[in-house]
Amino acid sequence: MPVSDCFVSIVAPLFNDSVIVADFVTDVIQVLRQNYSNYELVLVDDGSDDNTTAILNELLGRYECVRVIRLSRRFGEEIAIFAGLDTVIGDFVVVMIPNWDPPSLIPELVQTARAGSEVVFGVSSAPRADTISIRVGAAIFDWYCRKVLRLSVPKNTTQFRVLSRQAVNAVITVKNVHRYLRILSADVGFAKASFNYQPINRGGPPKRHGTWEAITLATDIIITASTHPLRFASWLGVLASIINLLYASYVVATFFFKERVAEGWTTLSLQNALMFFFVFLIMIVTSEYIGHILVETLNRPIYYVLEEKNSSVLVADEDRRNIVKESNEQEPANLS
Amino acid sequence: MRPLEYDALVIGGGIVGCTLALQLSHSGQRVLVIESEPDLLARASFVNQARVHQGYHYPRSLLTGMRSRINFNLFVGQYGDCIESSFDQYYAIGRYFSKITASQFKLFCSRIRAVLEPAPKSVKALFSSHWIEEVYRAKEYAFDAVKLKNRLRADLMSKQVQIKLNCEATKVEQFDLGLKVSCTTLGTNHEITAAQVFNCTYSQLNKILTASGLPIIPLKHEMTELALVEVPAPLRNAGITVMDGPFFSIMPFPARGLHTLSHVRYTPHHSWHDKPNETNRGAKRCVAQRYQSKYTHMIKDASRYVPLLEHCRYVESLWEVKTVLPRSEVDDSRPILIRSNHGLKNLTCILGAKIDNIYDVFNELQIAGPGERK
Repeated sequence: MPVSDCFVSIVAPLFNDSVIVADFVTDVIQVLRQNYSNYELVLVDDGSDDNTTAILNELLGRYECVRVIRLSRRFGEEIAIFAGLDTVIGDFVVVMIPNWDPPSLIPELVQTARAGSEVVFGVSSAPRADTISIRVGAAIFDWYCRKVLRLSVPKNTTQFRVLSRQAVNAVITVKNVHRYLRILSADVGFAKASFNYQPINRGGPPKRHGTWEAITLATDIIITASTHPLRFASWLGVLASIINLLYASYVVATFFFKERVAEGWTTLSLQNALMFFFVFLIMIVTSEYIGHILVETLNRPIYYVLEEKNSSVLVADEDRRNIVKESNEQEPANLS
Repeated sequence: MRPLEYDALVIGGGIVGCTLALQLSHSGQRVLVIESEPDLLARASFVNQARVHQGYHYPRSLLTGMRSRINFNLFVGQYGDCIESSFDQYYAIGRYFSKITASQFKLFCSRIRAVLEPAPKSVKALFSSHWIEEVYRAKEYAFDAVKLKNRLRADLMSKQVQIKLNCEATKVEQFDLGLKVSCTTLGTNHEITAAQVFNCTYSQLNKILTASGLPIIPLKHEMTELALVEVPAPLRNAGITVMDGPFFSIMPFPARGLHTLSHVRYTPHHSWHDKPNETNRGAKRCVAQRYQSKYTHMIKDASRYVPLLEHCRYVESLWEVKTVLPRSEVDDSRPILIRSNHGLKNLTCILGAKIDNIYDVFNELQIAGPGERK
């Protein structure tokens, strides 16, 4: 099918992005108009409290095929993206962060996806400068994910990605409260491809993770993705039991073969300390899981939609035809 | 003093105008219907879902639901020969983004005493269980707009009601004891006098009012698109409506032997309000203007809920301006508007919303309806 035949949906989460949203929408719509006859731009307003809403209303009157989904409060970028994925209808869905991801790459990425990769994800070639603690933490997290959990998430992946309809359908059937698109879209299988790109900066408000937030996020991701730590705790428990058993036989042997057994304060305290160490370690991991199980079993909707609004534009056919004509002269280069 | 030509002049030969003229003629009045199109029932009376409402559609407005139930029986009784009833109507409840749940919908239907039963397993299997919470079978019919047009025309003629086609009313003004309406028929201007004038021009209501220097009625207009499609065989004899949010509806359209596909999100293309001074940024103009069809959007979204719909064959789109009262935006109520003596004595403006509203009009205007005649 020719380029124009495939239906492309764009999902972009917004939070207090009033400074950049108009530029972003203008750029995206321009790219979409030039390349596709059927498209939609779904903007998920993640409970902004600045004038993003007002600007969005104005944009709806200016551009066609724009949809705004306003969530009832802030749920976080990940959930906002999933709220968008739940309503998109395109054959290919592009997820973008308005402040960083360049719209000009859309045609190229969609082309890669159409060539057979169900998931095409972006890798930032200029990772943001982070504090030492974040960098060290990230390195440990990366190593753990790759070596221990066998999660193939390349370093510096961003949210910028294209998912085929099949991949979207697979991803949205996961109804966990803790969902991470970067992990999930790698986890559902399907053919994958990555691309390097230089993020732009539209000068929107910084939304960087603090160290504490990063640790929480890493823990959540690990626990959602794997029961490995729980299994580790179990093995630790087994090991502790074996040591306990050995120690018990040692005590019995001492009772039979040694003459003076009143002393032994050192061993006793040592044993106590060791056991408590293990017990607490096991408890920490177990409690993390119990917490997650609790949240999942509550089975609440993971987000609430306040309202949905659509473009209301008077479209003149003449305008459209002109725009389509222009694109014929600058057909996007095929990737092959 | 010149005698008035007619007792009643009805502007607009749609369903509301024609049935109103019929009712007026029962009391022996001299009635004239004028229509700007070359045929009766050519505009919004033709371009709509053809649904004879039974109340199912308005789960958040008990009153509208109740009235629809009552009027349904009247309409089916009177115009049974224009009705297609040989199909199954299924109401499906969306699992996400829906404003009601399956249990709420069931409760609502039992309250308005509308028939609702679980859909057979074979039908339920056509729906995606991920997106659809529950599917019910309901009793709802579609009308054949062409048959209805022929029936109404025959009825009007048998009652000696006169019909003038291609005749556009441009202005209404006081004339002796009655009213005078200026008209244009195929480029020729002329005037018609009548004791009473009924403005049943739906989306054009304010156009005449403005030209006559009368106060306008706040109205909201929407440019809407209905996609005519040929559905895959298993759905040939079925209608599907997904409730109650940004979902779609697929209804048999007997006048063309096809189905209409409409979508809450994609059917309205553009909306505007009638405000004083910038009245009616032309319903006509908007029709003439070519919009980019959103049928692909509709089919793509619908096939998420009913995968089989992916194989719909698109035929063409029907475009029409849909006019509602601004208050309908916030709730499910679909009241009709009747303004007697609007600006001028004996000028009545009527805005219908659904086909069965005609009985509410008769009641309000205290014209004997078919039920009360006997």
